[in-house]
Formats: sequence, structure tokens, C-alpha cells
Amino acid sequence: MLDKILFLLCLASALADERCMPDTPHGFQVRLSIKTALGDEAYAWNENEMFLFRATLAFAMRNHMTGQQFNVSNIVVCDETERVSFWFIVTSPLDTSQLIDQENVEAAIRRSRNRINSAFLLTDKTLEFVDILPTLGTPYVHPTPPWLIAFGVVMGAVGAGIIIMLVSSAVQKKLKTNKKPQDKDEDDEEETRVKTMENGVARDGVYNMSFSEDERFTAM
Amino acid sequence: MEKDARPNWDNPMQFVLACVSYAVGLGNVWRFPYLCQMHGGGGFLIPYFIMLLVEGVPLFYLELAIGQKMRLGSIGAWTAISPYLGGVGLASVVTSLYLCLYYNVINAWSFWYLFNSFQSVLPWAVCPINANRTAPIEECEVASPTQYFFYRETLNISSTIEENGGIHTGQALCFLLTWVITYLCIVRGVQSTGKVVYFTATFPYVVLFIYLIRGFTLHGAVNGVKYMFTPKMDQLANPATWINAATQIFFSLGLGFGSLIAFSSYNQYNNNFERQAITVSLINSGTSIFASIVTFAIYGFKATVNYENCLERTRILLLNTFNLAEDTITLDNVLEWIKKLNATYPEQFNEIANDTGNCSLEQELATAVEGPGLAFIVYSEAITNMPLSQLWSVLYFIMLLLLGVGSMLGNITAIITPLRDFRVVSRISSELFNGLVCLFCLLLGLGFTTTSGNYWFTMFNDYGATFSLLFIVLIEVITVSYIYGIKRFEKDIEDMLGHRPNWYWKIMWVVISPLLLIVLFVFYIVNYIMGGTPTYQAWDKEQGKSVLTEYPAFGQVFIVLLLVSSVSCVPLTALYVFCRKRKHGKPLKQQHALSTVSA
Repeated sequence: MLDKILFLLCLASALADERCMPDTPHGFQVRLSIKTALGDEAYAWNENEMFLFRATLAFAMRNHMTGQQFNVSNIVVCDETERVSFWFIVTSPLDTSQLIDQENVEAAIRRSRNRINSAFLLTDKTLEFVDILPTLGTPYVHPTPPWLIAFGVVMGAVGAGIIIMLVSSAVQKKLKTNKKPQDKDEDDEEETRVKTMENGVARDGVYNMSFSEDERFTAM
Repeated sequence: MEKDARPNWDNPMQFVLACVSYAVGLGNVWRFPYLCQMHGGGGFLIPYFIMLLVEGVPLFYLELAIGQKMRLGSIGAWTAISPYLGGVGLASVVTSLYLCLYYNVINAWSFWYLFNSFQSVLPWAVCPINANRTAPIEECEVASPTQYFFYRETLNISSTIEENGGIHTGQALCFLLTWVITYLCIVRGVQSTGKVVYFTATFPYVVLFIYLIRGFTLHGAVNGVKYMFTPKMDQLANPATWINAATQIFFSLGLGFGSLIAFSSYNQYNNNFERQAITVSLINSGTSIFASIVTFAIYGFKATVNYENCLERTRILLLNTFNLAEDTITLDNVLEWIKKLNATYPEQFNEIANDTGNCSLEQELATAVEGPGLAFIVYSEAITNMPLSQLWSVLYFIMLLLLGVGSMLGNITAIITPLRDFRVVSRISSELFNGLVCLFCLLLGLGFTTTSGNYWFTMFNDYGATFSLLFIVLIEVITVSYIYGIKRFEKDIEDMLGHRPNWYWKIMWVVISPLLLIVLFVFYIVNYIMGGTPTYQAWDKEQGKSVLTEYPAFGQVFIVLLLVSSVSCVPLTALYVFCRKRKHGKPLKQQHALSTVSA
């Protein structure tokens, strides 16, 4: 594996394009994290994969700059490392001494980013083009915010609960006042008080003023 | 025979559960674990339990006794004990009012988070993307997604207390919902409260238990629990430890608000409150410890996740800088590789030296947070890392809600009960009166849902109910022990329970608790004066963190107003009663005393 890379490097340097070097102003650095992305199913990086990369990039350039027939030879790669990172530059198909400027290359890659990623079974994070920020997907905008739905449900339930409570106490009070004329005959202080305590719910806290006054003075 | 139109609890269990529901609140979850961590882990339990025995249980017993004997809310009860000291009850009501105004905002936040949990991706797990779709929103990048969600999307916080914007509609709606639910729980007074507390008192324990199991099965949880419980005994020599233990017990039990007096005033005359006082206090402390075990398990998990993320970032950085093959560095040997690479390529390593070597599990564990920050930021961050996070999020926020609503019931009862003792008010039906009180608190509390609302919340939280409570309870215990007389009090208890209180209680009430309260009181005053200008944490959105800012002039004035308004009720009422006595002379004094005591 290592020998192959060394051989390639020598070959590449023999046909070297001196314009391709680390930190070149005309190209980009690429970083692949195959093992992180695929784990056990990771494939080995070899010259065939590199060929695929150059072909994919040529495809991207063709898509972006219509009319120009980019070839694999127009994509020059250098400075390959064990990390699986390398630099590349793009030469013009019409004149190999001309380099395609960075903006065009960047635009081309941005456009076909998805296709390039899928060719290698990688994602924006694991196939990094250093200094080219991926366009993040549009977030899904809900027509109604989901919290409002949950809120509506709970508010409705609680509101219904309150209405039921208020209506039931009003109804109980009405029943009490309907019964009262009949109870007046009994006129037993104790019993009415007992009734008050038994029906504590309906009579809660409502004070019979005249009652309490008399009782207190009588007691004293 | 005593006329008794006063409503009662259906059975003593309801009373106990109501007290438990009231005492076990958010402070048990977000204040106690912090104190435990700050003051030496397991060692903190020693001052905590000593203070519980010396201060917590006796004062709790005292308040229950007063309520059950007088069968009136705090104003009526203290007026009956000593007409000059009715102001103590009034101060309690004012303090409870302040608490009611701001406490429900926390419940509103819990609801907001609860409703937002019903999404496939929790909104506080990822940063939202900016308009260009190139990167996450800057404020979120600089801070963290959970902080961004809390400060920006929940509160929409302004940068200082002076700047104000409008009301946050989502917040306002949740706030309205909270008050509607509070009204529903108290609409018929004790009859409805008594039923609700069965649920609010018990369900939080179910959730805590579920979380305990979940917490201990999380990766790295044991680190947190070990860290917390390792006692650092040297902290016991620090006086701040003992002071904090005392104040924690004091505030955790909810003394001085008048809620306990209100609750026990609905008891049967011969209810055995002595046993109940001990039970509730022990349950409250036990819950604090239980909650802090859960909290620290979660802390440990979060710290471990952060630590491992940090290691992962360092690993990628090393791989990219030195162009090594991917599988040479794994999470286990990152630290060795750092040393190796530093030795072999020193110049290259120097360039990235700042970003490496600062992953520390200890440091992650040592970040201690308390208060709403713990509940809404730290915990929600931990939840996003759990599998099935929506379920855990829903459970957690329901628990926070129940804890908050349970305490709220006690606070609002503390306002309603004394006011209903007045003849004028008792003519109105209880549903209407309770509704009016809730409406009043709702309208005033809407101010806390504005953009600067959180700063006002902090102000109320720090100053509204801390100092005044110490003052109130100090006056209470001195009144009962010396003005009313401990002998009379003993007799009252014997009348209710059938036996006199133990010598232990008497020593606590007469000597130890007042002394302790005076120490706490003095300490608070000294701290306030020495602390200089009061400050608060303002959220800086450029830096993505909170900065310490001083309160402006009107803020400081307001703080003084908060402190003075409740404390001054005591001397002002005493003065008022004194003047009325002098004006009306003796015979009318009897009638005056009668007209406020209506049972």
C-alpha cells in the first residue's frame, strides 16, 4: 500500500506540475475520513480511488463551465498524505498552461457536491474541501409551531375543567336555595349548622352573618 | 360549642401531602445539589442535619401549632396572639404576594419546555441556521444550543435590565396557562387543593425514581456521584458552610410565608401535628438528598460526554495537522500522542498548542450551577444526549411543573386564607375571590414575561423573600416564646395533643432557634452592606455568556422597597393598633379584637 503511494508520488513528481503545491492560491485541499464514515466497511484508498476522484471533479467542472470538455488529465493532484489528504489544481482543457481560478472551481464543487459525496459514500463532513463551506440544508418550517398545538390541547382541557367546576358549584347552590324554603320549618340551629358542614363544598366559606353575631353574644 | 363553618381537610393524609407538596419544591432540586458540591460533598450532610434538628423541625412545629390552635390565617392568628403583632401576619401575606407574582414564571418556563419537547429533534439540541444557510446563528455558535434556546427563544432576553421590549407571546400564553391551572387547583379552597395534592406530592417521586434508574445506567454517571459524595471535611471549618446549611433548611421548609399556618388552620383541633411536623421535615430533607443523587448522576454523564467530545475534537485536530492515518490515534491514546507529537514536532505543535491539552474530566465536574440555569440549561443539555430524549424531556419537565405547582398552591393559600378571615371578604363566594386574586397576580406577573423580565425575576428571587422571612420568623419565635409565653403555648399544645411538648422543643424555641436566627439575620445584613452595589448576571449576546452587571439606580431603589415594604408591616401595624387604642380607649378595644376574629 505504502509502496504504491510512493511510486505514484514519484510518477506524479516526474510529470510534476510545479503550480500544484500545498497552500497554492489556485487550488484546494481535500481531506477524506473514510474510516470515520464507514467504519468496518471502509475501502482502502488507492490509485483507482484517486482516478475516480479526478474523474468526478472533471465531471463537476464540465457541469459548471458548460462547453468546456474537462478531462481527467486536467485535474492535477499533489502532496498526498497518509491522512488521505491532498491538494489539487484544475487546468483549462483548451490550454494546459492556464489554470482555472478558485472561484469557478469552488462554484463547480458547490453545485455538484452531492454527486461527489455519493460517489465516495461520504458526507459533507467526511469529504472535506478545506475552505469551501457546505450549504446547510433548509430547516423544515412547520406551518404551526408544534408547541402551540400541545398548548392548545392542555389549555382546552384545563378551561373545560374550570367551566365544569364553576357550573357544578353554581348548580349545587341553586339546589340548596331551592331546598332552603322547605328546611326553614325545622329552624334548628344545630341541624342547619351540621348541614352546612356536610355540604361543605357548596357552602364553602360563605358566612351567615346574622347567625354568628347572635351566637357569639349568646355564648358570652 | 364552637361554630365551625371553616372548611377542613378530608383526612389528615391530605394535610400531610399538602405540606410535603409545598415544602418539596424546586429548591430541593436546584439549590441543594449545588450547596452539596460547593461545601464538601458528603460532608455537607453533617451541618445540614444538625440545622434540621436544631432549627428546621422546631420552627415547623411552631407554625403548625399556631395555625391549628388559632384556626385562622396568619393575620388573624398573630392578631389573636398579640394585637400589636398582627403586622407579622401582614408581612407574611406581603411576602407571599411577592413570591406568587414571580414564582409562576418558572412554571411558565417549564410548560414552554414541555410543549417544545413534542418534536422529532429537541429544539435546544441543535443550533438553528442563519439566513444565508452558511452556518448556525452566531449567538448560538458562541454560546451553546441549550443556552441559546433558553436566553433567546424562551426569554428573548435584553442585554440589561434597563432595556425593555415587548412581551414574549409564547411565554405570556404559558404564564396564562399556569395561572389557570393554579386557579383550577384552588377554586374551592381546601376541598379542591386536598384532592390535587395527592398527585402533586407523589408523582415527582415516581419521576425521580425513574430518573435514578436511568441516571445510573448512563455512561459516566458513577463519576458524578463519586465526585459529589466524596466528603471534603475541611469545608466544615468554613462558617459559610454552616450558614448555607441553616438558610437552606429555613427556605426549603417554607417557613414564614404563612402557608403552614394556613394549611394547619384547616385541621381538626386534635390532629397530631407533632408527628406530622417531624415526618414532613424528614421527607423534605430526604427528597433533597435523593434529588441530588439523581442530579449528580446526570452531571457525571454530561461531564463524561463533554470530556469525550473534547478528546474527539483534539484527536481530529491532531490527525489533520500532522496528516496521520485515521486509525493511528484513538480516544484512549490521545493524551499519549499529544506528548509524543509535542516532542517530535515542537514548532508545528506550538501552533495548535492552545487548542489541545485542556480536556479535563475534573474541570467538567467542577462546573457547578444552581437555580434555573441548572434546571433549564444543564439538565436539558444532558437530556439531549440520552436516547429517546423526547420521552425523558417530557418526564423531567412534568416533574418540575408538579414541584412548582405544589409549592405555588401553598403560596397562594397563604394569601387567600388570611384575607378570607376578614368579614368583608368572606361575603364574596370563594370561587370569585380566588379568581380575583389569581387575576391580579396574573396581570402584575405579566411584567416578568417581557424581555427584561428575567432580570426582574432575579431581583425578586434574591431580595423579595429572603431577608423578610428571616425577620418574620425571628419575630414569630420571640413572640411565642416571650410575649405570648412559653407556658401558655405549652398549655395550648397540651389542649390539642393531650401531652405537653418535650423539654427539647422548649429549649429550641426559647433559646437555640432565636439565637440561630439572630446570627443568620446579622449575617445577611452584614453581607448586604459589605457586598457593595447589588449585581446581577446580564446575558451578553456577543460573547455568549453572562456578565456581572450592577443594578442601576432605580433597580437599587426597588430592592430597598422590596425589603422595606414587607418588614415595615410589623412596626407600622403595631403603631396603628397603638394609636387606635389610645383614640378609642379600652371598652371598644374588645369589639375591635372581635371583629377581625371571625371564628
